[in-house]
Amino acid sequence: MNFLLEKQLNLLDYALASLWRRKLKNLGIMSVFAGVICLVASFQFLTASLTATAQDLLAEAPEIVVQQMSAGRQEALPLSYLSSLEELNGVRTVAPRIWGYYFSEISGANYTVLAVDPSVMPKGDRLFQAVEGQLPSGPGEAVLGSGVAADLKLAGRRSFSLFRPDLTLKPMQMVGVFKPDTDLLTADLIYTTPDAARDLFAIPADHCTDLCVYVANPREIGTIAKKISVILPGTRVLTRPQISQTYRVVFGWRSGFASICLLSALAAFVILAWDKASGLSAEEKREIAILKVLGWQTGDILLLRCWESLIAAGLAWLLGCTAAYLHVFWLGGALFKPVMLGWSVIHPQLRLLPVVSTADLLLIFTMSVVPYLAATVIPAWRAAITPPDAAIR
Amino acid sequence: MTLIECRDLLKVYPVDGQDFRAVDGVSFGVEEGDFVAILGHSGSGKTTLLSLIGGLARPDRGEVLVAGRNCWAQSDAELAVMRNATIGFIFQFGSLIPTLTALENILLPLSFAGSLAAERESTALALELLDQVGLSEKGNAFPAQLSGGQQRRVAIARAFINRPRIILADEPTGDLDEETEREILKLFRYYNETVGTTFLVVTHNSQLTESQKRPRTFAMKNGRLSETTVRGQ
Repeated sequence: MNFLLEKQLNLLDYALASLWRRKLKNLGIMSVFAGVICLVASFQFLTASLTATAQDLLAEAPEIVVQQMSAGRQEALPLSYLSSLEELNGVRTVAPRIWGYYFSEISGANYTVLAVDPSVMPKGDRLFQAVEGQLPSGPGEAVLGSGVAADLKLAGRRSFSLFRPDLTLKPMQMVGVFKPDTDLLTADLIYTTPDAARDLFAIPADHCTDLCVYVANPREIGTIAKKISVILPGTRVLTRPQISQTYRVVFGWRSGFASICLLSALAAFVILAWDKASGLSAEEKREIAILKVLGWQTGDILLLRCWESLIAAGLAWLLGCTAAYLHVFWLGGALFKPVMLGWSVIHPQLRLLPVVSTADLLLIFTMSVVPYLAATVIPAWRAAITPPDAAIR
Repeated sequence: MTLIECRDLLKVYPVDGQDFRAVDGVSFGVEEGDFVAILGHSGSGKTTLLSLIGGLARPDRGEVLVAGRNCWAQSDAELAVMRNATIGFIFQFGSLIPTLTALENILLPLSFAGSLAAERESTALALELLDQVGLSEKGNAFPAQLSGGQQRRVAIARAFINRPRIILADEPTGDLDEETEREILKLFRYYNETVGTTFLVVTHNSQLTESQKRPRTFAMKNGRLSETTVRGQ
């Protein structure tokens, strides 16, 4: 066998034995390190998964949404805009939509009320496929997101009431619920008929809150959006890529903020490791000196320390990432979901898509294992280049 | 053949803000197969001289030549190879790795020796050496489970595992009872006379020199060395 390979195997053997001999200390370090890595990796995985889940759910959202703006605020827009949009080349269909927020004073939660006519929507819209029960058609009928259904505490009842702006009660009837796997978008949703929504929000019959524009060729989204901006100058035109980007930015910002906090913990651990390693115990210095006396080279001692640290940190990284995977995709990211999801009382109970990229794993490896290697190997190098006579007297 | 040659060695340590000459202008040579004993009181510079010869400390002046090669003109790798292959060290105080068994400690200089066959051969030699130092039953004991004298005997066995040309020993029989001391001295004599191993021993035990056939003795005082017995006398 090649001498160099054999030498590495012998060093690896010695390193493993050395780690095992100090198993309590090393297991302690590995546990703490794996815990910190688990926290950082959880955020990384959760962000990637939420972004992927959002992208997946947005895949069938309208390509363009047109809203009326006045003094920088959104307001209802006339249905007469519909015809001018339908005449644009490349537009497949335009569906008026009514939506708004309803604040529940009892629970302090905000519900999102949404109404579109299924008959004018493209076939196969995922929102309608996600309904367990039937779609609303009659007066006051609604499909509720799982969060809203729980918040209203219906307890087997199907009827409930919401307040109109003039504080009169609007009777509603639950005819279905959204499936939990769409919770990211539907947890706080009340989906009802356009007439019921107009009645609830006191919107005139010839108005809606926005227009959903579906285009024939996705490559023309930008061009059509520009045309809409020109023919309807007072409107805000949102494209699906923009909404998708907003999700990425929101999750990325939250993840980034939390990651910075956790990186501080990681940095603290590395500083601790450095402090501990740079103050090598007399026993450790003596061991290095004895190895040098017996013919080990400085490079051999560094390789030994490299192997020891790589095994300890690598195992911690593996354990941390595995624990993070289980935490995020099996326990639903229970620890961090409140930070990453929801801005209201209702937090979505969605099933996250398992997304782990090599880049994420490498990033976590670089942020954790590499600094730990440096923190432990450099002090060992300093001890190894010192003449060994002092340590063995 | 001159195996070890020291030329005008000087080693200075700062003590209480002043320079202390631990080794001061030492020059001498050791022929292959010699048994050299250096006698002197504590603090006379014996251990420092041994460190300089073994390439464990760099002299402030002068040269140490081992087998014709200047120790400190060599690279770290070459110096390591020299320590590993040419010299066996026996230290005054415990020099065992506390987390290795006695057998593993003895085999430590052979960590990079190579093939499985060589490993089997080395283990057999290590067990033989353990037997020679009277510890055949203690191969799996950790240093903490051994007395000071037993630890010293393991260190002695380790010094011989590579079949070195030179043994540098610092008070090798310091912690040993009389019977064990006799056995160790017999072992030294066997290696010196039969194998031809060169010994350079720092001691204040006159019995150590008396037990050898042709010892050379030096006296060390205030860092200076003088030969007191000449070969053959």
